[in-house]
Amino acid sequence: MNLRRRKNERQSVSERANTTHTRNYPSDFRSTATCGRSKKSASDAVQQKIVDFISTATSSPDEPKFAIPAGLIVAGPSIASHGPFFQRLGQNIKDETNSAYVVLTSGESPNLKTLLKNLIKKVTSHVEDDDDDDLDRPASSRHGPKLLNYDLGHVQEWRKKNRVASIVIAFQDSEAFDAGLLADIVDLFNSWLDRLPFVLLFGIATSAESFEDRLAGRSLRYLEGEKFDVTQSDDIIEKIFSATVASTASRLHVGPNLCRRMLDRQKDHVQNVQDFCDGLKYAYMSHFYASYPTIFLRNGLAFEDLPAEAFEAARNLPSFRRLVEDKLEDGRPGNVRQLLESDQHLFQQITKSMETGQHALSTLSHAAQVLFSIRASLQISPSIRLSSMWTRAAAGDMVGSPILRETMLSIKKISSDKFVDLLAALSSLHGDFFNMDLDTLQQELNSLIEKNDTSAPLRTQHDVRNDSLRTTVVAQKVLLSKHKAALSEQDRAYSDLVGRFHDQLEEYFESAFIDPQSIFLSEVLIYDLKSPHTEVFQPKPRFAIERALATPHDYLGCDCCSGVDGNEAALAATQPATAIVYQMYVESGALINVSDLWSAFNAIAGDGEEDNEPKTMALFQRALAELKYIGLVKPSRKKTDHVSKIMWKGL
Amino acid sequence: MLPDEIIAQLISEFQCRDQHIQYLAALYTAHLPSPSFLNVHGLTATGKSSILRSYFHLSGIPHAMINVRECVTARHLLERVVASSLDALDEHHDEKIDRRPYARTENLSALCVNLAKLLEGRGKFVLVLDAVDKLREAGGTLIAALGRLGESIPNLSLILTTTLPLPPSSLHHPSTPTLSFPPYTRPQLLAILTHNPPKTFLTAPSAEDSPDYTPDLAAEDDAWLWSRFISAVFDSLSKHTGRDLLSFRSCCMKLWRPFVEPVMSGQFGTRDFSRLIINRRHLFQLEDSVLDRIINTGETPTTNPLEPSTPSKKRIARTPAHALPFYTTHLLIAAYLASYNPSRTDITYFMKHTDKRKNRRRTTNTVANATKARKISRHLLTPSPFPLDRLLAIFRALLDGSVPQVADVYTQIATLTSLRLLVRAGAGSNDALEGGGRWRVGFGWEYVRALGRSVNLEVGEYLVGGVD
Repeated sequence: MNLRRRKNERQSVSERANTTHTRNYPSDFRSTATCGRSKKSASDAVQQKIVDFISTATSSPDEPKFAIPAGLIVAGPSIASHGPFFQRLGQNIKDETNSAYVVLTSGESPNLKTLLKNLIKKVTSHVEDDDDDDLDRPASSRHGPKLLNYDLGHVQEWRKKNRVASIVIAFQDSEAFDAGLLADIVDLFNSWLDRLPFVLLFGIATSAESFEDRLAGRSLRYLEGEKFDVTQSDDIIEKIFSATVASTASRLHVGPNLCRRMLDRQKDHVQNVQDFCDGLKYAYMSHFYASYPTIFLRNGLAFEDLPAEAFEAARNLPSFRRLVEDKLEDGRPGNVRQLLESDQHLFQQITKSMETGQHALSTLSHAAQVLFSIRASLQISPSIRLSSMWTRAAAGDMVGSPILRETMLSIKKISSDKFVDLLAALSSLHGDFFNMDLDTLQQELNSLIEKNDTSAPLRTQHDVRNDSLRTTVVAQKVLLSKHKAALSEQDRAYSDLVGRFHDQLEEYFESAFIDPQSIFLSEVLIYDLKSPHTEVFQPKPRFAIERALATPHDYLGCDCCSGVDGNEAALAATQPATAIVYQMYVESGALINVSDLWSAFNAIAGDGEEDNEPKTMALFQRALAELKYIGLVKPSRKKTDHVSKIMWKGL
Repeated sequence: MLPDEIIAQLISEFQCRDQHIQYLAALYTAHLPSPSFLNVHGLTATGKSSILRSYFHLSGIPHAMINVRECVTARHLLERVVASSLDALDEHHDEKIDRRPYARTENLSALCVNLAKLLEGRGKFVLVLDAVDKLREAGGTLIAALGRLGESIPNLSLILTTTLPLPPSSLHHPSTPTLSFPPYTRPQLLAILTHNPPKTFLTAPSAEDSPDYTPDLAAEDDAWLWSRFISAVFDSLSKHTGRDLLSFRSCCMKLWRPFVEPVMSGQFGTRDFSRLIINRRHLFQLEDSVLDRIINTGETPTTNPLEPSTPSKKRIARTPAHALPFYTTHLLIAAYLASYNPSRTDITYFMKHTDKRKNRRRTTNTVANATKARKISRHLLTPSPFPLDRLLAIFRALLDGSVPQVADVYTQIATLTSLRLLVRAGAGSNDALEGGGRWRVGFGWEYVRALGRSVNLEVGEYLVGGVD
């Protein structure tokens, strides 16, 4: 039901897009929405647990409490995703319990006073919108002692007006808070606990134990609570992946190279769901903005809508060239001529191959899904994630790969009890992209199982248990020979059944796992460019600076800097002064004698005339100052006339 | 209420504090003059605040009690003194004092003026500042000035409670009256806790199973078992770890359920104390019950109650709950090594090419060596700071193959800094990635070992001196 709703939403989104935009980006819209939804569903269970914890903690408000209820939320090391998590959590808490919810971050709370000020501001301003007679409140300075702006009495007063059951305070990045500050705040909240029902939530990136270690025993005594483990980001990414990239409904596919890059980055550098979603969005966006023929991805396109340039662009695609060459080889030059000359004809060809291409790619995605669920249901180890399986399939090297072979072999050996499970698992995937006749198989299997009177499951002829080794000694040599045990009638019938299933499946996989690059218009259907993605998501600032200084020719591209006698590494007077000094800097040790550096510089950049020396000196000093500004050298006190080197090239 | 009645009621409520209640009653009565200043001192959980609160509540003397823990600054305290004095007088005299003159109390002299104005022409007023030594940002002269308030305002009696007695030097006064609340002794603690024994059976045994076991009998059994149990707990655990009432009580409460488990299951009778304590002796040998934790894991039930388990010293391994990304793990390991290895040994440990002369790792100490020069193992010392480039260099040396110089590495360092796994040494600039800064690790040996094992790297091999 959920799925259907999701589909409807998707359709409505793309319909809306259809009507409003001249060029619509259906996949973009859909996937972005799906990203958010998958992320949400993944952490819903944990959020629900936290909400339950808060409502039980506040169920008896009048009972005196000795410790503050505290939830330790172990949210994982991807701190960028903590913000959205706590935001959603706040929404859930406000919806389901009668509480005020405040998020505090370490940045806005450097000390106790500021923290309290922020807290009071956030708590009391929650209802200012629906409480307009706030202004009528007497300005207290004229009427008696006024509360200081960091006095929790403000919150108490506010609570008199708004009877909330609890005040939930979330410390989003508890590690970054000063430990002394946390101890103070716990102490303070505990002494107010008889008047203000606080509940604390701590967002923890490392582990609950290390959080406890940071607090003193006294503070720990004032806290009592539970630990909540938020779903690992790998799992969330896997879900997002199957909902967006590997989904059969997506019209634009992200290519295997880019996918592998993004997944590797998640594994190696950052674990950040947000970042993964951004990467996907960026991929969709750059595809639609940078490539003209993507206009053909639009649904329900009419020939009249298209300008001639679109066809011209399509004719320049490499896959078009391939198509033409194939047609020529087939001996249909007339067809080729039509494609080249008539836009109308090309349009028909494009619409047709667009459809077949979509279908082929969706089938490929689905086949990866099928293979994954077969492996999951047979529990073949090592378990390979769907994302990596899909990436391999999309790269076109699934056919004949060890994974597929191994899976097919274990299907041959499957016993009847496992086969039932497998068929059940596959029947949920049955559809347009996987139309094997599972029902007949199921019926035959059922009848076979019914006939089976022993308790043992049916086995195929390939099962190891049907093999036996026989040793014979012939002329002092041992001969090992394998023999098939005699199969019973039922087992034979079952073997037949499994054999047929195996053949059908193999056929399906062979037809599904095509090389996506080979289909016409693959450039439109698949986005697989490495270039803007790497520059945007993995810039190399240090490398760029070092390269610019070490080989300025790469950036300047002028003739004068190309090196002496074809040797690019050589220093030349024509290079920028900073680059010259830098290259000498790279060759020196940890302490650099500035006087030596100057004489070396003068030997290269100067022209040997005494009169020009001040000019060279000025260049040198500016270069050294620039190096200092970049942070490469700093003055040293260890030796006179020396500067110390603080950055090494290539780190 | 008459003084004698108050005393009787308080004594029944607070055991083992008869003498102190008598003192208070003698010092603060409605009609006799009271000392202008009193310092009540005693360790935590000795009943100072509760007795004061109850006494003044019952005695009907106009008073205000302020929990100084709730005050963030000295100004805050002064404001609250005036505000709560106003409230207390309002309530006591059932009138509405005009509050306009008391709008601001910025400093001590303002407090002096305000209080004098407020109490002029009124009877005795008692002001209790609870835990005055816990005030944050207290000035040096605050307590001394407070101690002399009574000199300018004759009808004010001030009581300051502190953990330790206020020394004459801080009061600038040679002699001040004090009232000491000593910590409870063992008999007193036991007497207080025996007063209210918890139940052995959460649900009373059904009448059919044991018709003779009446609620009275059950209560008697509970009291009998509880009194023996708490003295055992005190002698084995609380004597050495926490002798105050609160931690003793929480320790007893934590242990009680697992202790009586065999009784509940019917394995032992309610009065089989000696067999019970031998069966449950592991409870008294482990330190779990005296450690303060946020998360109550609860005692895991032993599988076989007949076989008393031996206390296991095994601690939960400090493994990170969430696996860190591959390079982040290596960055952390590199940071640990940079912090704990002296930089001159880097050539020995991380040079890629082999130079026979230099690349000789020091072998682990032999016994003779160890006794000759007894040195503290490196991983027990505090981490020493290192520059960022050293971290990056070790990071690259640890990894096979090259790592591209992408900005992600710096992102990770910034992230680890905000997680306090890497700490900037010294009060530097705000920019986490500014060159020339020095760094330090914020985690220990066990954590880094677990990290290393998660990526198949034995950190001990790279650590100078080795780890036993």
